Amino acid sequence: MGFFQKPFGYEPILSKEDVKQVVKKKKGPRAADWKSTLWRLWKIVDEQRMLLVIVLLLVMVSSIMALLGPYVIGKIIDLYVMHGELSGLGSKITLLIGIYVLLAISLFLQNYWMIGIAQQTIYRLRTSVFTHFQKLPISFFDRRQHGELMSRMTNDIEAVSSTLNSSFIQVFSSVLTLGGTLIIMLSLSPLLTILTMTIIPIMFWAMRWITRRTAPLFKEQQSAMGALNGMVEETISGQRIVKAFSQEERVKAEFRDKSLRLKRTGFWAQTYSGYIPKVMNFLNNMSFTIVAGIGGVLALYGHVSIGVIVIFTEYARQFTRPLNDLANQFNTVLSAIAGAERVFSLLDEQSEMEMSTAKNHTLVGQVTFKHVFFKYDVAQESYTLKDINFTVEPGQTVALVGATGAGKTTILQLIARFYEVTKGEVLFDGINVQQIERQALRCQMAFVLQDPFLFETTVRENIRYGRLDASDEEVIEAAQLANAHEFIMKLKDGYDTVLKADGREISQGQKQLLSIARALIANPKILLLDEATSSIDTVTELAIQEALDRLMQGRTSFVIAHRLNTVHNADVILVMQKGELVEAGLQQELIESGGIYAQMLSASTYHLEE
Amino acid sequence: MKVIFSYVKPYKWTAVIALCLMLMELFVELIQPLIMAKIIDDGVRAQNQQMIIQWGAVLLILSFIAFLAGVINSYFSSHTAQSFAFDLRNALFEKIQSFTLANYQKFSTASLITRLTNDVTQVQTVLFMSLRIMLRAPLAVVGSVVMAFVVNAKLALFLVIGAPIIFVFLIFMVAKGVSYFGKVQKRVDRLNRVLQENLQAMRLVKAYLRGKYEASRFEQVASHLKVDTVKALRTMEYIMPVLLFVMNMSLLAVLWFGTKQVATGTAPLGDIVAIVNYAMRITGSFSMFAFIIIFYARAKASAERMTEVLAVDNEVESASSSIVGASSDMKLGELVFHNVSFQYPGTDATVLSNVSFQVKSGEKLAIMGATGAGKSTLLQLIPRFYDVTEGQIYVEGKDVQQWDLQELRDIIGYVPQQSLLFTGSIADNVRWGDTKAEMDEVLNATMQAQIHASVEDFPSGYDTRVGQKGVNLSGGQKQRLSIARALLRKGHILMLDDSTSALDVKTEQALWDALSEESATMLVVTQKIRTAKGADHILLIDEGKVVAYGSHEDLVQTSELYQKIAISQQEVK
Repeated sequence: MGFFQKPFGYEPILSKEDVKQVVKKKKGPRAADWKSTLWRLWKIVDEQRMLLVIVLLLVMVSSIMALLGPYVIGKIIDLYVMHGELSGLGSKITLLIGIYVLLAISLFLQNYWMIGIAQQTIYRLRTSVFTHFQKLPISFFDRRQHGELMSRMTNDIEAVSSTLNSSFIQVFSSVLTLGGTLIIMLSLSPLLTILTMTIIPIMFWAMRWITRRTAPLFKEQQSAMGALNGMVEETISGQRIVKAFSQEERVKAEFRDKSLRLKRTGFWAQTYSGYIPKVMNFLNNMSFTIVAGIGGVLALYGHVSIGVIVIFTEYARQFTRPLNDLANQFNTVLSAIAGAERVFSLLDEQSEMEMSTAKNHTLVGQVTFKHVFFKYDVAQESYTLKDINFTVEPGQTVALVGATGAGKTTILQLIARFYEVTKGEVLFDGINVQQIERQALRCQMAFVLQDPFLFETTVRENIRYGRLDASDEEVIEAAQLANAHEFIMKLKDGYDTVLKADGREISQGQKQLLSIARALIANPKILLLDEATSSIDTVTELAIQEALDRLMQGRTSFVIAHRLNTVHNADVILVMQKGELVEAGLQQELIESGGIYAQMLSASTYHLEE
Repeated sequence: MKVIFSYVKPYKWTAVIALCLMLMELFVELIQPLIMAKIIDDGVRAQNQQMIIQWGAVLLILSFIAFLAGVINSYFSSHTAQSFAFDLRNALFEKIQSFTLANYQKFSTASLITRLTNDVTQVQTVLFMSLRIMLRAPLAVVGSVVMAFVVNAKLALFLVIGAPIIFVFLIFMVAKGVSYFGKVQKRVDRLNRVLQENLQAMRLVKAYLRGKYEASRFEQVASHLKVDTVKALRTMEYIMPVLLFVMNMSLLAVLWFGTKQVATGTAPLGDIVAIVNYAMRITGSFSMFAFIIIFYARAKASAERMTEVLAVDNEVESASSSIVGASSDMKLGELVFHNVSFQYPGTDATVLSNVSFQVKSGEKLAIMGATGAGKSTLLQLIPRFYDVTEGQIYVEGKDVQQWDLQELRDIIGYVPQQSLLFTGSIADNVRWGDTKAEMDEVLNATMQAQIHASVEDFPSGYDTRVGQKGVNLSGGQKQRLSIARALLRKGHILMLDDSTSALDVKTEQALWDALSEESATMLVVTQKIRTAKGADHILLIDEGKVVAYGSHEDLVQTSELYQKIAISQQEVK
């Protein structure tokens, strides 16, 4: 049976050991996982449960109507058609019309409402994941590919969505029909019923065999999809580099690889899950054979009548159909659970911790680092920051200088509390940062990041992002201060120009001007400028320097800049080297001491007279 | 739909086999009642146990055959569907790789991602389903209708009387479905875009405390998606009741007129019973039918979106094959701009106008100018990310339009303003410059780029994983890695787009010292006079026009703007 082991050259994914592994796991927490996943979904359905009950009632109505229809037709045939009787036929047909109308209405309404319920649930699931994203620490996003996270929001949730849409009703109506037919069958012939039921244990065994394989495969498939998504997102975002280095072939090969993994897992997941209807069909046929063969023999000895056999085969078929449906639904439910688990695992991520004792605090502006040690990752061997100590008084301007990778940006990120210190304390006005509510802290800060980021919206809205209630006049004022007004007016629609994702309408330097304007409008207590002017030409820089100086007045400001000219009027200069604070003081003091800073300074300035 | 389903072609045989297997299953199901009749007539009625066992055994064997056919069908159909999806995905991705940068404007990144995953899955599912179960429903309907006609054509007519109405109705619903589901997919794009934007701007969102604001923005797109999905699905819900209604009315007609015929003795009772039976079978298949329509509409909407991608004309990317006339060594790395003007495609603002200059082999040109003057744009024209609107660019004596794109880009080492790195190891990232480079070549490049020592300091050295877009590296480290990547290319032209802005002065000086040994022609966009001084010539541009060209000494004397820049960088005393 070589074909079944390696069909079309597909390497098997699950080994016998893997399946055993699944079995073992299932006995333990896995089964609970399942139930908890379903339970959590149920909780999200929440306020729609009333409507859900109505849907269930409608399913009952439609199931009964569906059974009633054929019954009435049978009666019509027996009583009227057979005798060519027309009187009274009209009323029976009216009754039939009534049944069909009721059936149609109940079918329509149950689906109509169910779609609403399902999509509302999906909506809640999506938005709760997104809202949760906002609470997650930055380090969570550092570790993951954007495309992979996006896949969870679309492909995984999509799997849940299609299940909720159809399976719920299907499962319920199947169970109802199953019960109904069972009762009829028992009343016809208990013996044959029991014979028909012999297939049920086989069915359970087969289902278990299959789901042990499909459950891990579905999970694997969703994760392969996520990996592919991650790669695509990164490649397309970085298309300029791919082109510049003509690496199209390389990324194509990489894509092919990821795509192949998806194909392989997809093949096995689909093949195994494709067994389900086939097994059900087989059992269907088996029960038919049992009824016909054994029933025939029984009839021979007069235990049952021929009529019963004929009716029974029909009911046996009706009996297995809902089972079949159930089995099919089981399959989609499985893939939905795989999707839901991945979505819930996001919701289970630890959000940024907040001390219960944390309080709102209006900043005065004093910032202290006390023996601060920091590493981004516990696994990291050496510290990114080592024993940092300094105090900045309210209103002071601090310049951070030092080689790249010395830890300057890290210090700013700790002040903004994007990360928690590994050891030591960061204090604001003498209060440990952990005792201050994150919200309260950040709303008194403004940050101009190294890579200016603009949203795909108008220039105006991008500036207003700093303070949402800022008026149009304030936006323009901020833009003027940041020297951005002039170029904005030259854009096609001025302040209403919509910026594109790659921002080709404006240059990198102009992006920086906009993000400075954004910080200006925020009117913060503490200002963090990380290479805010690195891509701006020096003439423009001089022009906005004045604005920045004015902005920094009365606020505690931290500035990182490599062009030392931009830091000349700082109150304190902190010189960083390899994660350590090596010098601190006023510019004049540092120059006179002839240390590292003095050397840096002499290397940077250009003298016209030279 | 046609374009997309042409990708099934290579697998038509496995598809045909899958279909045959499915028909085999169907066949077994259909002859079961016949055998049943045999058992009853020849066995039970004739009191012949032998016959019962014999036919019972036949039934059993047939069941096994059907089962085997079904299981094998599972393999064939999933192979067909998965291979189809695999080929389609690859074709789409390869197409996207051949896009020009201008093409990317037409689709957002998020929308391309949706098309590559979500849309492919939609179509793949439909193919898989149709190979396995979907076709059964239409077949059952057709079969039942044919059988009904065989039994009693007059009565069967009532069954098909509704057919034209149903037909028109279904076509109408498919059209509606395609447009609605197309809209749904667009909403998925929107959602993806907001999500992607947020992931990229996470620090900003946190810094400005815009979590709630962003959440409400997301809620808006999510709710649009919800509303449109609900609308699409609910519209599709009309199919089932309408089908059932028409069919049941036909059934009632059969009953009514059938009874009349029985009364007048024109039709035997058996005919009516049989036709009623077939009618009920048809109705039974309808639930599957409605399902098929929905899936088909979805798949069609998705297929159209993918066709959009596949149908994009690749303007430059595939154009111009290499025209003979190899560059002579004398001109290695030579570059000439001749009256170049440029507007971004689809815009009317002139970014560059009438730019002319020449860089001789091995020369170093510094490009300076105010923010937004057009410096980066100028560089992007050289590897033909965009094509000039007017004028010509000559690289090594040959118009760039005449160059084979691959060859042209092969001789250019480009360091963009924003350093973009990819998930993978540091060594991998540097090797983007030259996939086949030996480790010592990589080391050479990183040493020149002044990043070697920093890499060595990392616990895992060159195997250190670079996180999503290089999050775990400092700005300066990213810049230097991206310089190393360009150096490894050993191109004839090296372009640095203000790519040392995050470097401290000492490191930067060391970098320039190391680069001075390079024989390649260098184009350096810079803000710093100090850097410009080291160049052979300086090109000063303002608002897309060349305002000055010459050496540092010349410009200090002649250019007012240059003097202004120089003054802005003087030491503050």
